[in-house]
Parts: sequence; C-alpha cells; structure tokens
Amino acid sequence: MAKIKVVHYINQFFAQIGGEEKADYPAELRVGEIIGPGTAFESAFGDEAEIVATIVCGDSYFNENIDKAKADILEMVKSQKPDLFIAGPAFNAGRYGVACGTITDAVLNELGIPALTGMYEENPGVDMFASKLYIVSTKNSAAGMRAAVKKMAPLALKLARHEKIGASVVEGYIPTGVRVNFFEKERGAKRAVDMLLKKLSDKPFVTEYPMPDFDRVAPNPAVKDMAHAKIALVTSGGIVPKGNPDHIESSSASHYGEYCLDGVEALSSETYETAHGGYDPVYANDDPNRVLPVDVLRQLEKEGVIGKLHDKYYSTVGNGTAVASAKAFAAEYAQKLLEDHVDAVILTST
Amino acid sequence: MKLELGKIYIKDIKFDDCQRIEDGVLYVSKEELTKIALSDDHLASAEFDIAKPGESVRITPVKDVIEPRVKVEGSGGVFPGWIAKVDTVGSGKTYALKGMAVVTAGPIVGFQEGVIDMTGPGADYTPFSKTINLVMVCKPVEGLKQHAYEKAVRLAGFRVAAAVGELARSLEPDETEVYETCTIKEGLEKYPDLPRVAYVQMLQSQGLLHDTYVYGVDAKQILPTIVSPTEVFDGAIVSGNCVSACDKNPTYVHQNNPVVEELFKQHGKTINFVCHILTNENVFLADKERSSFFTAKICKMLDLDGVIVSEEGFGNPDTDLIMNCKKITAEGIKTVIITDEYAGRDGKSQSLADAHASADAVVTAGNANEVVILPKLDKLIGTLDYINKIAGASETTLREDGTLEVEIQVITGATSEVGFGYLSAR
Amino acid sequence: MLVIITNNPLIQESFGSTYTVDYEALSYDDILIKIRDAVHRGASILTHPLYGSVKPKETPYRSVLMEMREGPVDMDSLLLIEQTIASAGKFPNKSAGYDEATLNDCKIIDLSLLQGALRSM
Repeated sequence: MAKIKVVHYINQFFAQIGGEEKADYPAELRVGEIIGPGTAFESAFGDEAEIVATIVCGDSYFNENIDKAKADILEMVKSQKPDLFIAGPAFNAGRYGVACGTITDAVLNELGIPALTGMYEENPGVDMFASKLYIVSTKNSAAGMRAAVKKMAPLALKLARHEKIGASVVEGYIPTGVRVNFFEKERGAKRAVDMLLKKLSDKPFVTEYPMPDFDRVAPNPAVKDMAHAKIALVTSGGIVPKGNPDHIESSSASHYGEYCLDGVEALSSETYETAHGGYDPVYANDDPNRVLPVDVLRQLEKEGVIGKLHDKYYSTVGNGTAVASAKAFAAEYAQKLLEDHVDAVILTST
Repeated sequence: MKLELGKIYIKDIKFDDCQRIEDGVLYVSKEELTKIALSDDHLASAEFDIAKPGESVRITPVKDVIEPRVKVEGSGGVFPGWIAKVDTVGSGKTYALKGMAVVTAGPIVGFQEGVIDMTGPGADYTPFSKTINLVMVCKPVEGLKQHAYEKAVRLAGFRVAAAVGELARSLEPDETEVYETCTIKEGLEKYPDLPRVAYVQMLQSQGLLHDTYVYGVDAKQILPTIVSPTEVFDGAIVSGNCVSACDKNPTYVHQNNPVVEELFKQHGKTINFVCHILTNENVFLADKERSSFFTAKICKMLDLDGVIVSEEGFGNPDTDLIMNCKKITAEGIKTVIITDEYAGRDGKSQSLADAHASADAVVTAGNANEVVILPKLDKLIGTLDYINKIAGASETTLREDGTLEVEIQVITGATSEVGFGYLSAR
Repeated sequence: MLVIITNNPLIQESFGSTYTVDYEALSYDDILIKIRDAVHRGASILTHPLYGSVKPKETPYRSVLMEMREGPVDMDSLLLIEQTIASAGKFPNKSAGYDEATLNDCKIIDLSLLQGALRSM
C-alpha cells in the first residue's frame, strides 16, 4: 500500500525562524521539508506515512490576516494533495492554538481531508474548536512533544485510513461532546467505589460524565422603580459605529467597544452597522435598532417608563468568542456600568 | 450479620432423568422442571433448553435471569416473600451455583425485549453470554392478562431456580466468601477512623413490567428503608421488570449486586460499609420528592460520609437520581452516582433527562443508543417475532441477510446501572 | 382542578368516571406540546411525563396528571416538560407499524403506569 501523504503545519517558533519578533512571518510552503516536530512524527509513522511538505506561518501573521492566511494555506495544502493534515501541536501557545484550530477546521471541512491538531486543555483554541475537531490533549509546554506525538501519530493514521475512532479517553483527544462507548478495565461498580474513595479523601477524581455546563447566573431581583432607573444597552451582536473604528473581529473577538449614545435618538443604517460574521447581517445593517434597540428605549424614556437610557453602550461579537474572553470583557465593563450608576442592563444577543 | 456464601462452580448442564450435581455438572430433568414450572395454572407450557458460552445461540425475548441458590443455615430461605416465607435473610450459610443461570424467556407483551447472544459482538455486551444458561420459555393459557402472565413467568423462574439450587444443599462448596456487617454501635467502635459509607439503590417501581419487589412487597409502596447488605445475596430483592433490557436489573444482578460486593471488599479496610438503603422510582412527582427527602434523611441520621447511588431504567428515574444526589450532597455527604446514557445514535444528544451541579462524580455504563450489528446465529431460543418492536430496534432491525441492526439497549445487561458490566463512554 | 391529559383511549374508559379526562387522539409529540401549552397557561404537572422504560415513541401513548390552573407559570413543570420534549426528540417514531394487539399492550401498560401513580394520591 502506498504511504499516506502528510502535510504538516507549524509556526515560526517551531520552524526555528524565531520567537515573538518573527511572529509576523507570512505563510510559506516548503515542499519536501520535514521540520522540527515533523521529524518526531516521521519516525512515529514508520513506513505508514511520510510528510511531503511543511507549511510555516507566523502566529501574528495568521491571526491578523486570518482570511488571507487561511485562503493561502488552504491553497498550499490543496497543491500537495495529501491524505492527512496535521497542525502543531500548539501546547499552551494561545495564538498558535487558534491558528492550528482554524486551519485544521478549514482543511477538514473545506477540503475534506482528514486533519488533526494537538493542544494543552487550557489553550483558547480548545474552547473554540474542541467540538468540531479531534484535538489531542498535550502537556502545557514543548517538553511534552514526545508524549504528544506518541498520541497524535496513531490517531492521525486512523483518521487517514477512515477507521472508527474510539472514545476520547482511549484515543487521547479532548472530548468533543460526542459520547462514544468503550469497554473499561474495571466494572462500573468498582469504578464507582474507587471514585468514592478518592472523593472521600479529597483526592482528585475524574467524572465519567461531566454534567452540562452550569455556568448560569441567577438573575438579580426585579428593578422596583423602573421610572427612575438608568438602563444601559450591551450587545454581543456586534453593533458598532459605521466603519468599525475599534476593529472588533467578526469572530473570536479579542476586545469590546464602548460607544456614546449621547444625542442619538435611534440608530440608522448610515451611521451604524454590525461587525458580526456569524449571522446574515442584512437586517441588522438595514436597521441596527433590531439588534441594539435604542429607538424603543428612547421612546420608553419619553413615556417615562424608564428613567434614562445610559449614554454609553458596550458591544462585542459573540461569534466563536472564547467564554473566558467574554467573561473578562463583562467583568471590565460591568465595573464601568457600576461607576456610572446604571441600575439595570438589557443584554441583546443574536 | 454474617453470611457465608459457598460457591459451587457449574462446568456443564445436561438433561437427565436423575437430577443431581456431580463433579461440577448439573443434571436436570425436563419432566421435573416442567412440573415445577406448570404448578401455576396460568401457564400452558414450559420448554427447557441449554445455551452455552461460545455457541451460536440467541435467546430472546429474555424476561429474567436468576442464579440458583439454596439456604443451608440461618433464618429464612431464598426469595423470601415468594418461595420462602417472609423471614429475615442474610445470615448463616447460602450456596450459589456459579457459572450458570436460569433464564426465563417469552413474550409477555408485543414489544418485549431482551437479547442474549452466546457468541459474536452481542456477547461482548451481555454478562449472560459467559454463563451456562438453563432457558425456560413459557406460554400462557389462552386469554391470560398481561399482569397475570408476567407474574406467572416471574414466579415460575424463582421456583425452578430454587429447585435447581436445592440440588446443592448437601454439597461442599468449591470456595466460600464471608460477608459480615456490624450494627451501628459495633461499627463505630470497631472502625472509629473509617469513613461511613452506604449504598443507595434506586429500584424500578413504576407499574406493570416495571416493578421490583422487596421481601415480596412492591417497591412502589415502600418508603425508603435500610437492609443489611447481605440480604440481597438470599434474594431479598427480585425483579418484575421486563422493560429496558440494557439497564434493568435482572434478579441475578440483585443476587450478585456488584456495588454491594465492591463495598464489601473495602469494608473494614478503607471504609465502614454501614448499610444498604433501598428507595424507589415512582411516577408521581410528589413520591419522588418524598422518597428522596427520606433517603437523604436516612443518610444523615446514619452519620454517613459517603454514598454510592445507582439508578435503574430510562427517563423519569433521572429525576429521582438527581434529586437523591442533590439532597444527599446538601447534607454534606459525598456522593457518587451510577447511570447510563441515552445520547442518541450519534452520541450528540444530552445524555440524561435531568442534571445538577452536585452530580460531579458520575460513573456511566455507556450510551444505550449505540447501534450494533448482530450476525445471524444458528439457533434461536424463544422467538424473533417481536424483534422489530423491542426497544432500540426499528422497522428495519431484522435485515434480509438475517443480521440484526439494533441499539445496544435491546441487549440484556448491556448498560447495567449498578455497574455490573465494563462498558462506559466518554 | 385535576385533569388527565391523554391520547390513550383506555384512560377515558377506565378513569372517565372518577377523573376529568382530556382525551384527544394526538401523536406522542403533539400530546407533549399540549401539556406544555397547559403549563404555559399556569398548569402544574403532577406525574412525570417520561414515565415508563418503554422509550419515547416506542409507545404512542402518553397520559399525564395535571393540576389545571390559569396564572403564573410553574417553572418546575415548565423545565420538566421542556426536558421531556428534548429527550423524546432523540428517539425515532417506532410505533407507526404496530398491529392492534401490540397497540393494545401499549395502552394497558400506559394505563397501569398511571394507575400506579394515582394510587399514591
């Protein structure tokens, strides 16, 4: 059988070009070259597969030129007609992880080529891509390279051969949310007793079924006196002044914007638009009040239903934005809202 | 309470007019067994067959699986409230025939389920592919109502198992296991430094084909109660449950409750196994609240440090499981729960019908919706008439080439929620 | 007022004289929606709608005891019926091809499960 042809993606650091100062290195295809971690993969593959090309790209370059970088890299991958694509592993490097996740996702879904990456569980790339990709769980630094390749190489070969992929705990990938059966070494009752013994002695244990995410916030008590309340608008629907002055990203936002509503009676398509890339923007751009209801709140203000609409609003894009980032944004502007004596906030999403 | 459980290993089963156990071979007479089975006039016929591990045999629809046992010393007898009169069991000496089981089969209702394959991929999922099975297929007298049919087959199974167990009364066990529990005070004195642990077992108790009995009492009608963990070894709990083959507990699993066994292994070493708490899974929501409050209260009154809670069945028992977990945890008691999952054929759906953050230590017996292809086997005990209707099967289950495409929920014991099997999911 | 919402004709026959039975020949999904609508109007659910281990849509019948009220939504009931609808959504409809005898078995089991619950009242 012919060897499986592999294209490998790495960043500037693992290509030994340089560190942060070289992070703007543009995407580059090196046909026939095996670089850095590629040699470890090559030996793990044995006779089964070979790396036919390595793609190198700086992390800043990728993240700042995401659309172009992605398109260029996809062309490079396509040109090699590989059977398999591997990115990283990225360990705990955040931007490298996002790049690996983005490009693995694109190769898999746009080119239909089996693809795999690897990261440390806290890498922001995991939050964004774990439900879409096989991401092998690695240590948090490159010291874990050998262990990472040992798990990634066999899983990659299985993917390339379109074999059935076992449960996450068996194959070593980060749980995708898809439940997969497998036979344990101990029966369930023994595992339950072992887990209880750990729990009783305050030792760490791993649940076999994590309950759905309970990161829910109990609502505050209702505002008693709406007629004198100062109400603010906050949105993850990406409504920004026309031209997107703060360059809020269309997905995976890295920041939020604060904009003045002083004297604004209603939003209009001439002055506002959405930066969001995750929904059809036609209706939001046509009438931005549909996402950020300034018009209605001004009316309620006039009718005396609410005391006042706060003269600043906060906006970001929820599309693929890591929960940790969203939490951090909110923690920051919640403080500002408190300082401005806002009584209540209307959060609009899309 | 102290119970010596003598194990007699059965290597083979043969039909013979002279019933006996000799050199590990069980000889049974079809005629004798039929007489015992048909002593209930609700049953028209009973046929017996033998299925051995590795044989190309499929048994379906399976109703119950029972391990033959006999009480040789101590109060009471096996299956109290059914075969023996009601007396406290769980002490003295009991013999069990290991490596074999009595399997009752037959269609109680039109969508009855339960498949045991003795070979092939299906055999991996059921623990009863590893036992030599004495299978009894019962047919009812004409016009018998479902309730009466279920009860008749249930009791016929116990009678046959008890009669087979009786053949071991004068034998010497191959191996003896001793289980001993203490009273509350003894336990405190003997193991002052060990964490106090109990097992909370939820019993399926919803109605026809969904019932479990404790000393003959329908578990629907109990308030949560405590028993000595040794009592189940004598058949204090029996199954009247014919639905959800994968995660119901056949009588065999009650008799060999794996959580009880595993907790006994730690008893006196790492934990003090205080008692076995029984609760139910009723349909009425107020019953669920009441039973879970009682269970949590019992746990608190016993000053427990930890409990394992096991579920039985699909759907509304998830609500009982989460209520129990939440309320017991709220008493400051550390809790581990055992369940199985219904995550859809693709594994992408929410696995349980309820959830709570206190359920942070979960053992899962796997996704019952997983699809497997079972090959055509040479011999069938029972009938395939119902295979297209059983839970987890579909219109296309029985394929033209004779193979079956089914969810593993049709396989008896595939996703045991008392942790009898090895299957899990991530 | 206590009402049994059901699509099982046997419930009407057996309980019609002692309970108010709201029978309608609806599908498994639609009877759940009907229960949800009642909850939206303020009713409380008294028996768990995911009763029985016969999986959703392996029986076509559902019968649920409700305390009918108009007024604020009972959040526990709403959560319960929404979870039930979500759970039922995982299962394909298998009861379509059932013969009369099997449907009859389904009706009897449904009746028996509700009877068990009502005995607790």
